[in-house]
Amino acid sequence: MHRLKVMAGVLLALFTAAGAALADTVVTGSANFAVYVAFGDSLTAGYSSGALEQTYQVNSYPALIYRQVYGNDDKFAQPLVSDPGLGSAGGILVLQSLRPVTVVPTPSVGHPINLTYPLPYNNMAVPGATLHDLLTKTQSTSASDPTDLILRQKGATQLQEGLSLKPTFVTLWIGNNDALAAATSGIAIEGVTLTPAAQFAADLKTVTDAINAEGAKMAIAKIPDVTSIPFVTAISRFVVNPATNKPVLDPSGNPIPLIGPNGPLQAGDYVLLSATAELSHGIGIPAVLGGTGKPLSDTSVLSASEVATIKAHVDAYNAAIVAVATTTSAAIVDTNSALTTLATTGINVGGVSYSSAYLTGGVFGYDGVHPTAFGYAYIANLFIDAINAHFGATIPEVDLYPFVFGPLPKSKRATLPVVEPSSSEFTSIVFTPEARRNLLQSLGVPQSIIDGKTPRPHHPHHGQ
Amino acid sequence: MQRRGGFTGRALGVFALAALAAGPIHAAGFSIFEQGAKATGMAGAFTAQADDPSLLFYNAGGLAFVEKTDVSLGATWIRSTKADFHGAAPFPGPNYSAKEETLSEFPPHAYWVQPITSTWKFGLGIETPFGLTTSWKNPDQFAGRFLSTKASLQAFDLNPTLGWQVTPNLGIGVGGILRYSKVELNRHIAAINPFTLQAADIGRLKLEGDYAKDYGFNVGILHKLNESFSWGLSYRSSIKAEYTGSARLTQISTGNPQLDAILAAQLPYGTGLPVKTKIDYPDQASLGLAFGLTRNLLLETDVDWMGWSKFKTVPIDFTGGATNSLPDTSLPQNWKNAYSYRVGLRWTTSPASQWRFGFVYDQTPQPEEGVSPLLPDADRNGYCIGYGHTQGFKYDIGLMFLDFKKRSVNKARPEQGPFFGTYQTQAVLLGLTLNF
Repeated sequence: MHRLKVMAGVLLALFTAAGAALADTVVTGSANFAVYVAFGDSLTAGYSSGALEQTYQVNSYPALIYRQVYGNDDKFAQPLVSDPGLGSAGGILVLQSLRPVTVVPTPSVGHPINLTYPLPYNNMAVPGATLHDLLTKTQSTSASDPTDLILRQKGATQLQEGLSLKPTFVTLWIGNNDALAAATSGIAIEGVTLTPAAQFAADLKTVTDAINAEGAKMAIAKIPDVTSIPFVTAISRFVVNPATNKPVLDPSGNPIPLIGPNGPLQAGDYVLLSATAELSHGIGIPAVLGGTGKPLSDTSVLSASEVATIKAHVDAYNAAIVAVATTTSAAIVDTNSALTTLATTGINVGGVSYSSAYLTGGVFGYDGVHPTAFGYAYIANLFIDAINAHFGATIPEVDLYPFVFGPLPKSKRATLPVVEPSSSEFTSIVFTPEARRNLLQSLGVPQSIIDGKTPRPHHPHHGQ
Repeated sequence: MQRRGGFTGRALGVFALAALAAGPIHAAGFSIFEQGAKATGMAGAFTAQADDPSLLFYNAGGLAFVEKTDVSLGATWIRSTKADFHGAAPFPGPNYSAKEETLSEFPPHAYWVQPITSTWKFGLGIETPFGLTTSWKNPDQFAGRFLSTKASLQAFDLNPTLGWQVTPNLGIGVGGILRYSKVELNRHIAAINPFTLQAADIGRLKLEGDYAKDYGFNVGILHKLNESFSWGLSYRSSIKAEYTGSARLTQISTGNPQLDAILAAQLPYGTGLPVKTKIDYPDQASLGLAFGLTRNLLLETDVDWMGWSKFKTVPIDFTGGATNSLPDTSLPQNWKNAYSYRVGLRWTTSPASQWRFGFVYDQTPQPEEGVSPLLPDADRNGYCIGYGHTQGFKYDIGLMFLDFKKRSVNKARPEQGPFFGTYQTQAVLLGLTLNF
């Protein structure tokens, strides 16, 4: 048996020769992250569930990209707001109940904790900003407008402040609000809620020329189809029995449509999340089914033709983005097709399904517009993949584990004490008119439209 | 398909219990090529020898040369010494690692060979040619629990065979295969908790297929050309096994009573859900060449082919109608045909004793995007040593160290999504066969 033992020993030694794990080094290729500045709107700011709040801000996609490059975000400055965040109607939105679905803002609010940072922030994104705002807007225009929180009334625009840092790398995801207000307000009028395509292309060239002049490399993200977000798709256009969550059927077995401004809703029409206020008062529901029989207001419904108008504009914006990215040798981040995938087939992570569904999809938060922390991490990986492919970089993708299971990664930055609201302070309201106004404000919808004062052409002109 | 029962079912009951333990080790996918300690000592390079009762598995052609009644009984102790997983981005991430349970199993084998006339011979084999258990430690915390927490498959073959000695040095054999097999799958079900907007466990799904009984065949040829050279060719057919069984979904509380109540109203928790699934077992062919180097030294080289491309998917079809069902799913596999290469050396040191040595390189049939916690497979090298006592109290011992190459997964099928990382597996196999 001695021989056997020796042989066994030799064999064991042979296959316990463990391969030494090579440490991964982050290579950024021809992209240089020495000074990274992110331009954009709420999606770049890490806005989630109706508020700017640090838990989400420290996991904004620009912060995640920075952490993947450097391993920490110590030197990535953001306009952080303490818990429970700053929204237009209080703090961050929370889900109180599923039956009925009750989403309310926390009554207390957080406060800015990085206002005295001496330089412009690395994340310059201003919630609500349109592309044009990047070039022109220097201060807040209403009480709930967070522009002053980020630009801090230095008299400079988002673009000017960011470029003053002399960035070597820039991410640019702007233009969502150029189409989003039309979708969230249910009113698609070029020049009012929709930026004309020609103006968009011209402004985009101005912005990217200015970034190019600084010599910064760039990744530009496309504009998603804003009509596929849960704010637009969450509510059925048919009358739903709240007890069964299934459509109410007429005697011939067909579902009964809600009543819109132009009569019963047709295929392709959408009822916006903000319509829950009216629906809860029976508006839009036929009288025979116990409703008021009154039509939903124009701002509660996105008609098929409005959807088509918005999609045409988004397509034009994206054509401008692709064109400008090509001439400036920028990486293109296809956030548009990613959102389409989420809205159609969904995606799967380790056996967990994610989709654009409201509340249960895991990608969008309670405002139905802005991503969850998982959603932002997913977006960060879209950026990282595009940057890696375009610049020959090997930045590792964001580890999704904490975004799937929690707890969310926390910043190492010093923060002020957190004020926890007690649950008894919550008021149980289901998108009251007040809540709806606040929600729309937070989404950058013009005040005139929220108040229903928009002049609408009575006879739409064609061929213009 | 029928449930256990009847004469054959009862007769095989005891054996089935033993086969239930069929092993964790996925020799070339989930085949178990170790069906006799003599062959195991030579890494399975035995097709051109086939000179003990395990010939019924390795090459039925060898049956033709049987000259007296022989009975063998044995088992292979398969013990995994390491089955680790280290995650990679994006999921479950580089900070994550997990381990499989180190299982210890005993897939058995039994053979009886019997001459009928001087040229016609009969044999009956019981083999455990396929088996699999992948069981993850701490299944409630395992990051891949929504893919699989525990999967097991057991198969045992009843293999009556007829051998015909065509000429004094050419034999052929034909056998029928009656395969009893069983499959069990376990995983958790996830949903997004609307209150946390994070993934939550909402149930445990256990799916058990009843014993399926399916048929196949095997053929073999053994040609002992002269004292110093023989060759053999063996083929075992593919078998399609269809299982009926039941699945059970057990609720896991999300911690939110309202959500739990809504889920309980929507999902068929706690009832048996009729289910159907199937497994396509591959066919396999072996070609062996044996060279008598000296009077006491024999070298054999084998090439084995397994038709794993038949293993395309594991469908899970719920047949309970509108109320007693979950959505049908399918676990795509899309394996490729694979080869293994075996070399064995037999050294006869005395009339009563033989030493055996072997090496096998076994190619995985599993494509990278199919590697998952359900069944992580890899190329592997096997290093073998064996001893046989061939007079008096006759026994064979075979020892195999099985070293799996690291298997890294960095691509996924869209319907499953990423579960990226590296699997590392090692195992020891110890075969013992007694000959009467």
